[in-house]
This record gives sequence, C-alpha cells and structure tokens, in this order.
Amino acid sequence: MKQIIVHQEKCTACRDCELACSFSHEGVFNPALSRIHVNDFYEEEFYLPMTCVHCADAPCATVCPTVAISKEPDGQILVHGERCIGCKMCLLACPFGVMGFHSQSGVAHNCDLCRHIPNSPQCVAFCVPKALEYAEVETAATAQQKIYAATIQKSLLAQAGQSAH
Amino acid sequence: MQAQYVLIGNSAATLAAIDSIRRYDQQGRIILINREQGPAYSRVALPYYVGGEMSLEDLLIRRWYDYQRQGVDLVDGATAMGIDAGTSEVVLSDGRTVRYEKLLIGTGSACIAPPIRGLDTVTPHYLWTLDDAKSMKAAAEKAHTAIIIGGGFIGMLAAEALRKLHVRLTIIEMTPQLLPQLLPQLLDAEAGTLFTQAVRDEGVTLRLGSRVEAVAPKNGRVEATLSNGATVAADMLVVAAGVKPNLSCVANGPCAVSTGILVDEHLSTDCTGIYAAGDVAEVKDFLSAGRAIHAIWPTAVDQGRVAGACMAGAKLVYPGSLGMNVVKLFKLTLAELGRFREEPADDVKLLSGGRDLYRKIVVDREGVIVGAVYVGDENGVAEMGVIHGMIRRRARWRDLARYHLPRITYATLLHAAAHHG
Repeated sequence: MKQIIVHQEKCTACRDCELACSFSHEGVFNPALSRIHVNDFYEEEFYLPMTCVHCADAPCATVCPTVAISKEPDGQILVHGERCIGCKMCLLACPFGVMGFHSQSGVAHNCDLCRHIPNSPQCVAFCVPKALEYAEVETAATAQQKIYAATIQKSLLAQAGQSAH
Repeated sequence: MQAQYVLIGNSAATLAAIDSIRRYDQQGRIILINREQGPAYSRVALPYYVGGEMSLEDLLIRRWYDYQRQGVDLVDGATAMGIDAGTSEVVLSDGRTVRYEKLLIGTGSACIAPPIRGLDTVTPHYLWTLDDAKSMKAAAEKAHTAIIIGGGFIGMLAAEALRKLHVRLTIIEMTPQLLPQLLPQLLDAEAGTLFTQAVRDEGVTLRLGSRVEAVAPKNGRVEATLSNGATVAADMLVVAAGVKPNLSCVANGPCAVSTGILVDEHLSTDCTGIYAAGDVAEVKDFLSAGRAIHAIWPTAVDQGRVAGACMAGAKLVYPGSLGMNVVKLFKLTLAELGRFREEPADDVKLLSGGRDLYRKIVVDREGVIVGAVYVGDENGVAEMGVIHGMIRRRARWRDLARYHLPRITYATLLHAAAHHG
C-alpha cells in the first residue's frame, strides 16, 4: 500500500506540510486543522512529522460505535463523516494520537492521503527537504535496508583499506 | 436448534465475537439470540436519534446481509430465560431450546429503576434500547418540559438530546455535582459552582443534592416530590439512575456471579464452554489486583474479540479492563483514563497548557503511568489516545517527563527512546 513515509533526519520543521494539508482540505492555512503534525524538540534539533499510518488492524475502526471508520480496498483507513457522531472514542483508541477532531463539523478526521487529488498527498508535494515520501511501504523498507547496507559496505571497505597498510 | 457457537445479545460484545470467531473458524454454525428485532444498532448513537441528528436507519451498525455473509443465524425477538449446563441448552422465552458447544453471554446492562414511590403509576423514559429511544423521542416531540432523574453520563446525553427538541429541563441529581463519577475529582468547590452556574445559564433547572421520593400523574403531567417536600412537575419523566449487569438469564445458575458474571482471563465462566463479555462480565481489572466492570463500548468490543477467539480455540489472554470516558459538556470536553482518581501512594503530575486546559497524569509509586484526565478543547483529546497506549504498555513517567508541552504525542516516546535508551 502506498503511504506517507517519513525520513525524519531530513525534516526541518518548516511546517509547510501542515499548511498544505489544511489548505487542501479546509481552504485555509491553519496548522490546527492539519492532519499531519510536526513534533519538534528544538534543543536537540529533532523534528518528527506524524500522521495516520493506516493500520492493518486499526483500533479506531474496531472501536467506532457507529461503524463510521472503514478499511478501504486500497488500504486506507477512511472516516465517513456522515456516520460520525463525534464521540471521540477513536481519538482515545489511537495509540499514535493521529486521529484528530474537527470542531466545526463535529467529526473525527485522519490523513486520507488526499483522496480528492489522486496519487498526490499535498504534504509530500510541498515538503522542501523531501522528508515526506509517498511510496509503497514494503519497498520503502527494502530501500532503507540498501542505504544502511551501503553504509556498512563503505565502513568495511575503509577498515580493509586501513588494515592493508 | 443447535450450533457450535451460540451468542446471547446483539451488540458490541457479541458482534466483535462473531468477527473473531470467523477469523479462526469459517465453518462452525453461529446462532445469535436477539431479544429485540432486526440487525444491530448503535446504542452510543441513540441520543443523536432522539435529538433528531440521525435517522433510524443511520443507527444500524449491521445489515441483514452482514449476518448472512458471516454465516450467523439471527434469532429475533427471543429472550434467553435460562441456561441448562447439563444438557448445554439455552431456554428461550417462547419455549424453544438452543443447544450449544460454546456459549457467549453478552446480555449487557439493564437500567436501574430507582426506589421511587409511584414509579409504576407514570411512564418513566429510559435511554438504553432502541424502543426506549423511540418512545422518548415521541414523547419529547410533544413535551414542553421534562424532568430528568440522574445527572450522570446518560442523564446528560438525554438532556442534550431533549434540548435539541426545545424541551425545557429540570435535572434532579442526588449528589451535589453533575457527572458525579467525574466532575468532583476535577473541579474544586469554586470551579464546581462556576460550572453549575454555566449550566443554569443555559436555561436548565438543576436540583443538586436532591432525592426524588415519589412521582405521581397530575393533570396529564408528572409530578415529582423531593425529599425536602418540594414538588416539580413536567410533561415527561426521564430516568437515568444508572445501569447494572443484565443477569436475568443466569438468575438460576449455572455460572458463578458476583456483581456481574465472573470470568477469567479467557473470558470463560466457571462452566466449561460458557463465556461472558461486555457489560455483563466481571473480569480482571488491568490496573488493580481485583475485578471490575467497565461498562463502556470499547471494553465490550475488546472482551468480545478475546472471548470469540477463545471459543474458536485460539487461547488469547485478555490483559484486563481499563476504564475510560470522553464527554462533551457544553463547551468543555472531558476525558478520563484508568485510575484518574489518585490513591494515597500515587503521584500526581499537573501539566500546564494554558487557560482553558487542565491535564493531569497519575503515576503510581513505581513511576508507572496509571491514569489521566483531560479537560479542554475537543481537538486536544488525541493525546489521551497516546496516554491510553502508554498505560497499556505500563510506560513510565520518566519517559515523558521532559516533553509534556504543548501536547503529549507518540513522537515524544520515539524521541525519548532514541535519545535516552
């Protein structure tokens, strides 16, 4: 399934993702209405954007008492606003805290991978340092493995080079 | 009739059990005994139907074809009267018997009828079943005024629904505070007074610390007499005096019962093959050494899931139930988790967050997070989901300690793990 993958080390906390998300969904630039949030730890310069990971066995979907949250055929966890009564049990159920609540409409909301603009989540489109990537999760993991394998290879070659002297 | 799996009840626990059973056993026959009519509806959504925001159809959380698709025979309009463990049969109200290999009792809660003189001479409206909701809505559409006995969660939900129908309310609560399960722990005397005044400013008449001694019909209305002799009259009466486990089908055995049906970590009763889950089950509490009944939807779903799996042969273990609640009262959203009322040996962390925000975390003497309270804007409740996960994982306060502003997020935990091991 294609999801938003976070490359934490690249995030600069510019929050363009929050602006792009809120503008795309709500028509306003308002980070509070964004479905992706950047968690910042300024002292350590550690920034981590977090959003819905579309769990295979989603606690939010399991707990919803009006069956307003479904796992779609494409894998997305989708909140059906018209069935949502705003009880917020899904917010209590999500261990990542990535289910949000939209006060004005009185319904829960999560990242819907910008369903309204097929194949182009806006946070990814506007992320300048490319900390967000829209890719197949399974292959993304393999790609990560390759990066670290290359690092280890480099390290081993350097050691071999040293010991030859 | 007979089946491998017989389920009594048509709500959160048994529905979750069906999904779970089918994960492990696609063949075994399932019979579901439903004392009401039709496919399952959302009890949690009933107040929204009463208030006019949802239709009857919106309430449904299953359709006929869901039962067919999952191979469940739905037996409607039949109440389970008793269980014969010797013959492994459930006896129904119409005299039929249903033979089981595995039985799940998910009969939920029953409304408490308070000991009020004359209650049987009027029409008290409860808010528990679909029929209750239909009857309450019909009465409310004609009523100008209503008395609500009980200012707890259900009383407040009924109040909100009736206000949407422009019914003027008098809420009579026997303790000095609304939401006695929650508010007295959160609000000191001054804040409590402010809150109560805010409710009154919304046009609701509150009689706190008042007991209803008697009710009687009077000139086509209902008159309630309070313990101080005062009388209150209204067009309709709502009773929201609490719920208790619905034990009617086990009144004559066979399983051990205390407040609820006693079950072990597999949701099994002391009778082989008989399980119980949801509001009716009394099971190990997650936080304390004892047992508890947390009569909330998420708990019933979790328990039904484990019970179903165990019935189908997968020996899952239920880690224990955890209390939680989230309610919006006028402009404030309140949420609580676990042991939010601190015990003497506990430590309390009050987290600042601004003017309209109250956040408290309760930590036990070993430094493990055991409870939390949130009062504030409804958008901020998501952090309670993170804390819920932390409580379940028995995370420690020191994992969070430096990072509690402005919101507690999962990133906090990842960061702590990355930097401090």
